Amino acid sequence: MPAPSASPVQTPAPPRTLLYLDASRLDFYYNQFLIEGDGNVRLRTSDGFTVTGDSFTMDLKLNRFMVAGHVTLHDATGTVHGAAISDFLDFRRIYFVPVTSEPDRWTFLDGDLVHPAKGREMPGDAFYFPQVSDHPSITASGAVIDSKTYVRFINAHTYFLNAGVPLGTYVVNFSSNQYFAQNTLSGASVDLTWNMAGSPNALTALHLRYDPTYKTYLSVEQHFVGDHEYAIFSVNPATRAEKWWNLALYEKLGSRFQIQSFTQYYTQQFYLQEPRAAQQTTYLSATYAFPHSYVTATSQLTNYSVLGPGALEEPNTVAGSLNHPSQVQLTATSFQNRILNWPLYEQIYEGYGFNHDTVGGNQYLQGFPGHGPPIPVPGLQAYGAPCSDQHGVKNPPVYFCPVYTTIWNTVFGFNFFTPAIKLNNPPGPYQTYYFNASFNKQYQWNSLPHWISTSSENFSINRQFSRSINTYLSYQILNVGDHYVNGGYVPCQPVNTFYCPLSFTSFAGVSTEHTTSFGLNWVPSPEFNFSLLARHHVDYPIPVPGVFGLPPNNILGQPLYASYLGQPPYDATGEVRFKLLSHAMLDVSRTLYWYGNPYRTQFWQPTFVVQLLPI
Amino acid sequence: MKRTLSALAAATLAILLLAAGPPIVVSGQLLAYQEGYVFFTTGDGFHVAHDIVLKDAKTGGATAIKPAPRVWARATFDASGTVTELDLSRAPLPPQGSFADVARFAVALSTPAPNPDLLQNIETPPPGEPETVAAARHFTGRPVLVTFIVQVPPYTPFTSSVYISTDQSGWNAQAVPMDRVDALHYEITRRYNSGTIFRYLYDRGSLQSQEVAQNGLARVPRELVVTDADVRVIRDTVYAWQDSGPGQVNQPQPQVMPTPYNPAPFPNLPNCLPPPQPGGKHGPPPPGCPGAPPP
Repeated sequence: MPAPSASPVQTPAPPRTLLYLDASRLDFYYNQFLIEGDGNVRLRTSDGFTVTGDSFTMDLKLNRFMVAGHVTLHDATGTVHGAAISDFLDFRRIYFVPVTSEPDRWTFLDGDLVHPAKGREMPGDAFYFPQVSDHPSITASGAVIDSKTYVRFINAHTYFLNAGVPLGTYVVNFSSNQYFAQNTLSGASVDLTWNMAGSPNALTALHLRYDPTYKTYLSVEQHFVGDHEYAIFSVNPATRAEKWWNLALYEKLGSRFQIQSFTQYYTQQFYLQEPRAAQQTTYLSATYAFPHSYVTATSQLTNYSVLGPGALEEPNTVAGSLNHPSQVQLTATSFQNRILNWPLYEQIYEGYGFNHDTVGGNQYLQGFPGHGPPIPVPGLQAYGAPCSDQHGVKNPPVYFCPVYTTIWNTVFGFNFFTPAIKLNNPPGPYQTYYFNASFNKQYQWNSLPHWISTSSENFSINRQFSRSINTYLSYQILNVGDHYVNGGYVPCQPVNTFYCPLSFTSFAGVSTEHTTSFGLNWVPSPEFNFSLLARHHVDYPIPVPGVFGLPPNNILGQPLYASYLGQPPYDATGEVRFKLLSHAMLDVSRTLYWYGNPYRTQFWQPTFVVQLLPI
Repeated sequence: MKRTLSALAAATLAILLLAAGPPIVVSGQLLAYQEGYVFFTTGDGFHVAHDIVLKDAKTGGATAIKPAPRVWARATFDASGTVTELDLSRAPLPPQGSFADVARFAVALSTPAPNPDLLQNIETPPPGEPETVAAARHFTGRPVLVTFIVQVPPYTPFTSSVYISTDQSGWNAQAVPMDRVDALHYEITRRYNSGTIFRYLYDRGSLQSQEVAQNGLARVPRELVVTDADVRVIRDTVYAWQDSGPGQVNQPQPQVMPTPYNPAPFPNLPNCLPPPQPGGKHGPPPPGCPGAPPP
């Protein structure tokens, strides 16, 4: 018999164990990661023994199980009867209450079922039944359990409004492998996931989803995961003509280098028929870590119309442009470093790269027979002298040459920020004010004689009024300058009936946004949350209703961009989040935009943004 | 003589009654009921009287509940340590008595022996040394309020939503939404039972916006062990987001490069404004705009 280890937790990682479980009824509690079974329990383990009994319980997180009531333990050496058996898989200890002539207590050490340590004191919770609440998330009649990785339920049912929904096979993955964290699906208001199949290295899921754009649809996602790599593929939505095919790949080589890619391929096609339109985007990223900095190479390759001219997409064209721009960027970034012992941190970065697009130039110079006049702004940018061929347009010139198909850039930037600085020392913790500030400056010099400067300053003061109420007041200045060495933005001048938006008569390429924000969070309990964000924008150029539109929304109805030209002077967003089901919260939010005088235009965000979030 | 005999009989009865003492009553959850023994979740097995009385713990009357695993029971022991009555319930019963008082009645063939595993675990660490993981793994399972406060990179967009994704929710990227509390911090409070262990990462709602480590590489998930406390506060720092690290340039978009006013974050430059050109020249508005020449 091997000597007992000094401490169970210091033993090497236990080998992977597979459990094949059958019972009259198995209940799975998602919020506690518990499996409870009753009636004709039969358990076969990859460790080489079989257990039968009346009841079963397993805590998947603690990685231990127990069978109780009329237990038989059977292995190659024979069969023993008992009252209960408990296997602490992580510690390689099996605690058994045999009933031979009389009850006894045996402990099996390190998988040795032949030489039990008899009479050994057992942990006080060795035969503990966890207390469960609510209804089970899933019921089944059988399960395959791979310790610390996944459970595959057989003949599984889930419940909606107390009605059983048959699932057949359902997989619950609880692996701590971080790469299972990756997914390639976009957000959705509701996502009901049916994990159809799984293994320690793979997971296949069918998603029933709803969002305001595509309504109800199905999506499919496949994970392949290793210790240092993953590959994830999905089709979303799979049951709509507009499909996004996603592929994410990742590999970590050694401790300092990683490479990853994400490819999204859009098609408009019915089922798997020939696509009417297709576009593709691929991101590539490689990172090498140094002791106090890192270097990242990124690339983006986009083809807006894989099918070329004549794509037949209906009714709205998403993939129509023939451009296929690409971008490569190499950036070195320092860690965040504290300056002396001040509450001030800095970070600097510098990068080089280029943007490239060759198709546009060809379009510009020649156009496409039968497809109308040349495209007005081709390639990356037409900038310079007027072209000799103005396509029939007289003075002033409309088309400029050359067309830049490659623009190189150099980027330099830095951040300064202060984490929370205490402003006062009141007697009570709920009277303290904290101050935060951050400053970012970035320059981007392009080979087209042109440079862009961006600066951002943030200041905020916050106070917690009670455990449940927190408020903050923030002021942000965002300045973006688009500077041309020669010429550039020309203040708008009315021509004939052409209308110049207010403040564009003096706009020369530099915008400034001042945003004052007031935020309030009220969290009386973890199951309820209300937050309010009210903002006032004083921007240049001045927003003009009808000239600037709101940014496009994502499929949930949320604006794609946080700040943009033409922001209404006032907006307020309310959000309520509360527990709806034992394992789900409902999040509802909506924004009110208010232009105020003199426009007197007021409107709400088009729809409520509703999301069902698992707890 | 008769009086003497009566006194002797009374004294004998009194001695017997005093020796027997009152019955011991203990409540707990059943582990098994078989072969003339009743087992509680302490692992202890006790003899059961042949004529054991089974009652409903709530009403005190007859019960249809059969003693079996998971059933709660109030056990009455006689002086010899035999269980003579079980009051059964499917719901937890209020604690009554102590199993320490009946441990001497537990039946076991083998002589009790110490368990070095347990002795190691309950040792108090010397002053100044951190508690071992094993010692820390004694949890009551009580609900604990856990507050997460995360400091985000200073260039995080102000209206960004920040979430926690955990292995408990299948790494759903929007599983736990957080609330902004100032320019650099987000916060959320959740209730977990002590003993809960999970791994988590911060993100901004998707795979592409997950946090990365300070060295730019994918981050190993943080692990949280919820220890017994009224409230726990977890303070974390996100050094960078995968999709918006420092030094990112304006992304190429068709027909709008490289002006920063068309790609994010400024997508809404009016279409009718002429593109920048050298010399401050510009022609009539583009086709479709007010004032544009007829095609």
